[in-house]
Amino acid sequence: MNLKISALEFVQEVQIGNISAEDFVAKTLEKIQSVDDNLHAFLSVNEKAIDQARDVDKKIKSGVKVGACFGMPISIKDNICIKDSKITCASKVLENFIAPYDATVITKLKQQDAIFIGKVNLDEFAMGLTTEFSAFGPSRNPWNPEYVPGGSSGGSAVSVSAFECVASLGSDTGGSVRNPASFCSVVGYKPTYGLISRYGLISYANSIEQIGPLTRTVKDTAFMLNLISGLDSNDNTTIDNKNEDYLSEIDSGIEGKKIGIIKEMVGEGIDPAVLSATKDAISKLESLGATCEEISLDMVKYSVAAYYTITATEAGSNLARYDNLRYGYDFPVEGYEFNSYIAKARQKFGPEVTRRIIIGGFVPSAGHAGKYFLKALKVKNKLTQEVNEAFKKFDLLLAPTVPILPFKLGEKIDDPVSLFLVDINTITANLTGKPAISVPFSVSNGLPIGMQLFADSMHDKLLLQAAHALEGTVTLPEAPI
Amino acid sequence: MVTEEEIERVSKLMKIDVNDHKEFVDKVQTMINYFDILDSAGAESEDISMQEISISNLREDKYIPFNGKLIEKLNNYKGTYVRAPKMS
Repeated sequence: MNLKISALEFVQEVQIGNISAEDFVAKTLEKIQSVDDNLHAFLSVNEKAIDQARDVDKKIKSGVKVGACFGMPISIKDNICIKDSKITCASKVLENFIAPYDATVITKLKQQDAIFIGKVNLDEFAMGLTTEFSAFGPSRNPWNPEYVPGGSSGGSAVSVSAFECVASLGSDTGGSVRNPASFCSVVGYKPTYGLISRYGLISYANSIEQIGPLTRTVKDTAFMLNLISGLDSNDNTTIDNKNEDYLSEIDSGIEGKKIGIIKEMVGEGIDPAVLSATKDAISKLESLGATCEEISLDMVKYSVAAYYTITATEAGSNLARYDNLRYGYDFPVEGYEFNSYIAKARQKFGPEVTRRIIIGGFVPSAGHAGKYFLKALKVKNKLTQEVNEAFKKFDLLLAPTVPILPFKLGEKIDDPVSLFLVDINTITANLTGKPAISVPFSVSNGLPIGMQLFADSMHDKLLLQAAHALEGTVTLPEAPI
Repeated sequence: MVTEEEIERVSKLMKIDVNDHKEFVDKVQTMINYFDILDSAGAESEDISMQEISISNLREDKYIPFNGKLIEKLNNYKGTYVRAPKMS
């Protein structure tokens, strides 16, 4: 059984009867069993997965209409609700919490006969970019287990890269899908803000975060997007995409397209190997008929500070609900006064979440709001204007997903600012609401490099076409697992 | 300059006990120092844009019964009430 097939290949193979969903899911679970002690992508595995796959096979054999996933095993970041399954957000605060309802993306995938093979690791409440801030221990990079897999959707990227599933769903607040996708050599997608419902995604910074797929190929991402995008009455920020088919015309190519190379994302601090890969990507895009030209987005250098100010503020508000009364762990209320009980119970948050809650109280508070929070919102606005102007001239923008190569576990954990700066190339898409994708592009000294393309809002289809074209210019090795 | 008193005030405001306020002074100060870069962005005259959704575009404000007893998901409840500590 070849577990290394793409989602579209899986669907085709099951559809024509070359493989059964049950066998594939069983082999996938064996794979998880054999590699995950080392990689730690999964926080929980679905024990009913084989039974569910068998049910899909029965439907196929009996001629009943089967959903587009045909029993495809998908991993889900553990901040997305699956009814009656644990949802921990990789936090001790929610260690035994059972989701009472399905996220909209889960409802949609269930309707398409997807199998949720398990819930995967993340930085606690998605705050981080290495998975080192998971309360249940870090995930490891399948390309070299001494290195971080990126984050916060690290478990999602590892599970796809190490063939522990066919595709995954993560969430991207400042690059949390694209960063691990780049570090683990898989495709990671952050759609236009509002394209995918956030109902049932546990909020961290809801004004900018989005659920996004991680897959082996760009076509698989388009396939997933077809299944999970669109309006949702449970999320008023969703937008009507008129049931766009992102997979059709994906082979359109990029001849005649104008691509802006973001100067601030290939400058100071970039790893020479990443810079070299970027130059190679530019030359390959030009050979496909695109025109590439440098563009300066001055606000990018302020984006990290604006991002952390805004997200900490939203996190402070969003995480206020974890009072251990409505959610929480076993901690009796007897003998405590109301506020002191809540403050004591919330000590279970890990160090990074606590730090961000404190910052989230500090920057919008009286005396500081004008200096930090309001200024951050103004930078966000100015950055959006700059990017909108750029899209009047260019069809697409390009930059490496992360300016540096994956680094060793523990290397940056004690230096928050240095860690934050790893996000500098991904944050712009979140602050402006634009779609962006990380495409595996190169491998340097055994470590992957991803290339990032951006498009204007609602130009997701064009973005996927360009990403597919870029993907076709390279042949990369698989993770050595 | 972030002070220990300020961390104590904010942690109380955010309802989270912090054992060592001193430890957070340095961590928060490092991040706040970095945020000072916002002063040189030249964005003072910018507007702050917010997404606006009119009430008519919101879903109907009506009670939707939940299938299942949510209260039973809680650790501390009695009958149909959430069990909470005493208010001072």
